[in-house]
Amino acid sequence: MSGNFNNTGRLVKFMLKRELVISTAWILIIVLFSMGIAPGMAGMFDTEAREQFVSNMDNPVMIAMMGPVYGADNYTSGAMYTGMMLLWILITVGIMNVFLVSRHTRADEEKGRAEVVRSLPVGRLANLNATMITAFIINVILGLLMGLALAVTGVESMDLAGSMLYGALNCAVGLVFAAITALFCQLSSNKGGATGLSFLILGVFYMIRAVGDMQQIEILSCISPLGLALRSQAYIENIWWPVFILLLESIIIAAIAYKLNAVRDLDQGFIPARPGKKEASAFLRSNFGLAFRLLRTSLIVWLIVMFSLGASYGSIIGNIDEFVGGSPEYMQILGFDSAVAEATKENIQMYFLSFVASMMTLVCIVPLINAVMKPKNEEKEHRAEQVLARVVPRFNYIAAYTALAYAASLLLQFLTAVGIYSSAVSIAGDANPFALGTLLKACLSYLPALWVMIGVAVLLVGFIPKAAGAIWGYFGFVFIASFMGEVLGFPEWLLSVSPLHHISNVILGDDISFMPLIILTVIAAVLTAAGFIFYSKRDTQA
Amino acid sequence: MAIIEIKNLIKKFGKFTALDGINLEINEGEVFGYIGPNGAGKTTTIRVLLGILQATKGDAKIFGLDVWKDAVEIHKRIAYVPGDVNLWPNLTGGEVIDLFVSLRGKHDKERREKLLKMFDLDPSKKCRTYSKGNRQKVALVSAFASDADLYILDEPTSGLDPLMEQVFQECILEQKNNGKAIFLSSHILSEVERLCDRVGIIREGKLVETGTLDQLRHLTRVMITVATENPIEDLNGLNGVHDIEERHGGLNFQVDSHEIGNVISHIAKFGVKKLESTPPTLEDLFMRHYNTDGGE
Ligand SMILES: Nc1ncnc2c1ncn2[C@@H]1O[C@H](COP(=O)(O)OP(=O)(O)O)[C@@H](O)[C@H]1O
Ligand SMILES: [Mg+2]
Repeated sequence: MSGNFNNTGRLVKFMLKRELVISTAWILIIVLFSMGIAPGMAGMFDTEAREQFVSNMDNPVMIAMMGPVYGADNYTSGAMYTGMMLLWILITVGIMNVFLVSRHTRADEEKGRAEVVRSLPVGRLANLNATMITAFIINVILGLLMGLALAVTGVESMDLAGSMLYGALNCAVGLVFAAITALFCQLSSNKGGATGLSFLILGVFYMIRAVGDMQQIEILSCISPLGLALRSQAYIENIWWPVFILLLESIIIAAIAYKLNAVRDLDQGFIPARPGKKEASAFLRSNFGLAFRLLRTSLIVWLIVMFSLGASYGSIIGNIDEFVGGSPEYMQILGFDSAVAEATKENIQMYFLSFVASMMTLVCIVPLINAVMKPKNEEKEHRAEQVLARVVPRFNYIAAYTALAYAASLLLQFLTAVGIYSSAVSIAGDANPFALGTLLKACLSYLPALWVMIGVAVLLVGFIPKAAGAIWGYFGFVFIASFMGEVLGFPEWLLSVSPLHHISNVILGDDISFMPLIILTVIAAVLTAAGFIFYSKRDTQA
Repeated sequence: MAIIEIKNLIKKFGKFTALDGINLEINEGEVFGYIGPNGAGKTTTIRVLLGILQATKGDAKIFGLDVWKDAVEIHKRIAYVPGDVNLWPNLTGGEVIDLFVSLRGKHDKERREKLLKMFDLDPSKKCRTYSKGNRQKVALVSAFASDADLYILDEPTSGLDPLMEQVFQECILEQKNNGKAIFLSSHILSEVERLCDRVGIIREGKLVETGTLDQLRHLTRVMITVATENPIEDLNGLNGVHDIEERHGGLNFQVDSHEIGNVISHIAKFGVKKLESTPPTLEDLFMRHYNTDGGE
């Protein structure tokens, strides 16, 4: 077989050009975030506070979540930084690589763009090879920048050697996930399957190391690239061999992907695609059924995400006072006001719970907006017109998606509450300070605020679809107003632009005031109705 | 020399047989029309030829080289236009053309400009904004700018308007006159009739007919309209006569092409006043093979 790699170089250039914006953004956000947080974290804790903190970290639940505690006997800022940050940054870098690799391999194939490229004098492996080289370049840049950025933060225990190791771990784990994704892109015959399996593996690796770390089974943790990377103990022992093992792993996995790619047909995978149904079920044939089908997977994923997020917050409520009690900054973030409440264990727990409930409500807005924006994206991909050209009135079309968003808001809030409660109770038992009823009441009382968000989104999609993305700007504002509005000194009128501002805090003992809830519901209904009407009247747009 | 040589080609997708023993040869300077109903296996044949699907059995060669093993060598000398062109939404048409041209390694700026003008394509627009026809033009421009020895085209004009279709046909004829071979899968029969020297009809993965248009016409019936002084006797009894109808004092009927001599000499005995014959169109040919129960 001659020239399997022919034209790799040109493809690399082409890919780098396509990556100019998106990968630069990923790298900058990851590096700047990592860099920005280091001095703050170092400044927030003195040696004593760190020792206090690390003794709190040293329990099975925290170890399962955050990884093993290293360097506890001399817990420097660097040791703390690695302990708190590395695992999560590695997961983020993994996600970046899954998207990066699938974008240039399966996505191009699935969309039919690879076909013409392959009809040119381009080697069978050139595209995969170019993708891996591109991933290599991007991960090396990320690693180097990360190393340098952390080294110049000037935190005393974060020296150049440790920082470069920290950066190298980012690069190496990134490459492992690039290779894993490349492998799944050969196995699965479509992009959704390939990215789905890659994310699944990412999650499995997190769990494997959680079990390994908690049960102190080193070999188990080391099977997971995430667990292996933590063994490097950047800023503590600075052990380099995990980096090399990770690089070796990525080379081996990539080699398998190359082998498979060389023998397979374009558009085909090794996992046989499940044949679709020959006929649409009666349900799918309806407008509503189609909307449900299109939103189903993402809604299910979000339900699981909300439940697990809730559960993971719930799991730390039991000893939250130990984590934040000593830190005025954390207490301030929780909205704790020592003039109003005493810093008892239970009070801190309730403040934390109320913080979690509003935080989760904000997260919940994302899938709701996605659902309402779906008809707009369908429009952009010219699929909406095929439905609308049939017998479905425009009104019913958008109404189906909106109705699903409303229904989802209820389910999501409900599952969040159940998630938080079940894990809090399973850890704290009888000592759990709150009842499920209170939490449910709190979560559900946010619903009218969520509906207003839905309403605004519907209105935008109906009225100015081109600018419907502005809903994310509004979401950003609501987010900031909720957590930092008061710290930043937002005036009352500005705060009240956020629907969440009007919800009384049931968890902290306020009575539900129904008037604002009714008004919000009415506003939501008006916005939604107006959106429907505008949508029915306007042209389909690309 | 045969440019394309396909011997007993079989391609299976799992249990499904998409190509079932195709034999085909295409020579230099020849335009070969590949026609058949949807799902017949046209695109599959082309994808095997491009080395992006591996044959299950059989042999396919282009320029005497194996289509799978020597794909890169072959691709230096061919140009391909798919029926459904998909491009990167964030790149402009011009950028994509340049990418394709640079991957091929040859560069003829003048020709690129000329083709852009001929196909009336604005290369500065993002591919996201292109219609199907415009995306097709991007592929056509980069194909014809390439100076290939073989053009493989899979329903390349399905999104073009009649004016552009005309431009396309001119381009094909120009390449043909330069001695290039062209493999054209198409649904537009007038296009095939105008351009192609030979035609192959594929149905359910089998090549049911190949030959020049003239040869294929022999396989079908000619429509005859005739008026005679005396009524024609015994027409029914002749071999190869079908569907006799009386009209305006004359007769309409169909004759199998190979029986036409006998029939004419029979008719001549009755004093012919008027005789018209209409050759079978490609449509007739087509329909004969398209109807699952049609033909033999
Ligand atoms: N990747 C594939 N997997 C399974 N079946 C396929 C695949 N590609 C094509 N087919 C089937 O092979 C047959 C021929 O398809 P194709 O060559 O695309 O037909 P056409 O003549 O319309 O271009 C069709 O029945 C099609 O469904
Ligand atoms: Mg086809």
